[in-house]
Amino acid sequence: MNKTWQGYNSSLFYDELLTSSGNPRTAARGMINFLQRLPEEEINERRSAAELAIRDMGISFTVYTEGGNIDRNWPFDIIPRTITAKEWSKISLGLQQRTRALNCFIDDIYNKQRILADQLMPADIVLESTNYKPQCAGVSPRYGAWAHICGSDLVRNSNGKFYVLEDNLRVPSGVSYMLENREITKRVLPELFENYSIQPVDDYPSKLYQTLASLSPRETRKPCIAVLTPGIYNSAYFEHAFLAQSMGAELVEGSDLHTGDDDCVYMRTVDGPVKVDVVYRRIDEDFIDPEAFRKDSMLGVPGIMRAWKAGNVAIANAPGSGVADDKVIYAYVPDMIRYYLKQEPLIDSVKTYLCMIEKDREYVLANLDKLVVKPANESGGYGIMVGPHASAQTRREFAALIENNPRNYIAQPTLSLSTAPTYIDHTVEPRHLDLRPFILQGKDTWVTPGGLTRVAMTKGSLVVNSSQGGGSKDTWIVEGN
Amino acid sequence: MTMLSRVAERLYWMARYLERAENTARLTNAYTHLIMDLPRDTQVGWEVLIQMLDAEPVYTKRYRVFNEQNVLRFLIADQENASSISNSVRAARENVRTTRDVLPEETWEHVNELFIYTQETAEKSIGRRHRYEFLEQIISRCQMVNGLLMTTLFREHSHRFIKLGHLLERADMSTRIIDVGAGAILGRAETNQAIDPLLWGSMLKSLSAMSAYRHKIGPLVEPNAVVNFIFKEARLPRTVYFCLTGILEELQPLSNNGDAIQIVESALQKLTRFDAENMTLAQLHQFIDQLQISLNQLDDAINTAWFLPMQS
Repeated sequence: MNKTWQGYNSSLFYDELLTSSGNPRTAARGMINFLQRLPEEEINERRSAAELAIRDMGISFTVYTEGGNIDRNWPFDIIPRTITAKEWSKISLGLQQRTRALNCFIDDIYNKQRILADQLMPADIVLESTNYKPQCAGVSPRYGAWAHICGSDLVRNSNGKFYVLEDNLRVPSGVSYMLENREITKRVLPELFENYSIQPVDDYPSKLYQTLASLSPRETRKPCIAVLTPGIYNSAYFEHAFLAQSMGAELVEGSDLHTGDDDCVYMRTVDGPVKVDVVYRRIDEDFIDPEAFRKDSMLGVPGIMRAWKAGNVAIANAPGSGVADDKVIYAYVPDMIRYYLKQEPLIDSVKTYLCMIEKDREYVLANLDKLVVKPANESGGYGIMVGPHASAQTRREFAALIENNPRNYIAQPTLSLSTAPTYIDHTVEPRHLDLRPFILQGKDTWVTPGGLTRVAMTKGSLVVNSSQGGGSKDTWIVEGN
Repeated sequence: MTMLSRVAERLYWMARYLERAENTARLTNAYTHLIMDLPRDTQVGWEVLIQMLDAEPVYTKRYRVFNEQNVLRFLIADQENASSISNSVRAARENVRTTRDVLPEETWEHVNELFIYTQETAEKSIGRRHRYEFLEQIISRCQMVNGLLMTTLFREHSHRFIKLGHLLERADMSTRIIDVGAGAILGRAETNQAIDPLLWGSMLKSLSAMSAYRHKIGPLVEPNAVVNFIFKEARLPRTVYFCLTGILEELQPLSNNGDAIQIVESALQKLTRFDAENMTLAQLHQFIDQLQISLNQLDDAINTAWFLPMQS
């Protein structure tokens, strides 16, 4: 064993790669044996090779700071995270089930609102949410699918069980990093792919293409698909370009599109206007159409909502999908699965206390030191308080925030997130991680084999977001034993 | 296949900036070699390079004297000079960054590496010691990107607008080089039999045209023959004639191409009638001015026909 692994402690939390006694788990065995036998200099060479590949491939993300935007290289750890195919197939089914239920819910809310009539949840938490868009009422997208691309965050607790932490239904990002992570691993640890049977991830773009194409209002062999980006200064621009290119779709900005008098959407090309069938929008719905939403939006396409409602263009994810992407609604997802699908949830959700409910709020305020408090409506890990790590001052601030706006806060027990071996300087140390698989929902439902594993690079930290210093790992779904 | 107007515009400028970086490197390289050959008291100075790039106004705001250090800093690394090698590469990269989806996958990697190399090396490559290697690197890395595009790019609009950008920029640079080169050499009070052939030779070298010239015309570097060669030779990629016919070829399949074609055809006619033999220096200069005006008009016409947002 090379000395980078000495002193690794896998017994503090559930470790993804090693058992608590330090032996490699089944799916990780070959990989760990290989890495532990590599001389230290070679490990360093491969880590540098990975950094170089990331730099040369220009895999970057943008961090917004007060001093301007910084384009940072993608932080990557070379040790893959492994999951057996057997375990994954169950999770995959659970994710499909969940996404179907969420889509049933969105479709129901913008149409008959049966779930509210049957009083499964208070109507006001849905209809008074800023994520509920009355502009979308009465629309029935094809296949009842609103959230066509869903990124759900999974975590594994100390008991070794996976939980869904949240569902991102608006413009989930990260899938290109999942693909690039695999690309880098193939470049720097090619030997491992000889003896392993790892489920490939690179057909994501073609699955995404099929999903989007299935939404086209025109029956045509090759529908015109456009990826709508806010532009180069968006933190996920790299991904927008990547996906457009790998699907052979057009990467457009709002100013490239316009809505004609015929309520169809066209893009401006060197040959004149060309009709667009499907818009994969990567801008927030509030900015998508100044006629329907924010009037000051310069990023959107005036009239695109008109075209969408007329059924002349498909938009993925459909505007309004965010109504199910709310941490308060999250608490009701298990009920939705039972209500719409008449099934029991295959993956658990994390116990969630809704501060708007008096009994829950009292519990939360009394137990702030044990809970994680999250705003109902933020993403990117902003505005979160991790109780056990927070100062008394911060806890007091959050108590006040909760009392002022209980609807906007939820709390969950602090999970002991699983860890995996990660290179920190010159040693391997356990770091907490999560997993974001992507679920596609069009005519068919499909789940990525694995997803994007994000790692909290700071010791003890649970915050995995790349905007806050998180890293990432390649994720292997390993066949056989 | 469809091509967004915005993307066409960015590809066109990517190509122009790449070509500009390469041309500036070529010019600087050839000129550095030349200066080393010249006796110390010749009247040829570094300002010629600035004149060739029409950059005196920007230059004189930044520097008082036209010495080697200043001129080279201005051409290679100056952030205030929009056309410095460093800024051209940055602009090319920015355009690739926003069009990677229509380019072969490796394009971004190569252009990004070129950018990183330039950022890391430009500042310390101003002195003679590292300059040559830097300029050679810029030229070969630009050529690598061009080669990549030429051998992998799908022959449709993206290729067309990239080619238009390259050819227009190259025609522009070649005419500038002749204009200022000829002016600097012929405009001096007396000719110098020992030096003039070197100057003309360096002009040919900056266009990679020296061996083609020897092959086609002969070993003697003679002013009128050089000017005619750089303007009118149909088979050499850096001549004005070659660039304009190439542009014409790319314009033909496009819709809405009337204005642009007319400008190119009329410029080609003038070029065909051109002969340096019968011209004074002033006439030559005037001819080149006209050609430059045509190139500017062409850029405008391309902009109007394909890049500006259409009225919906």
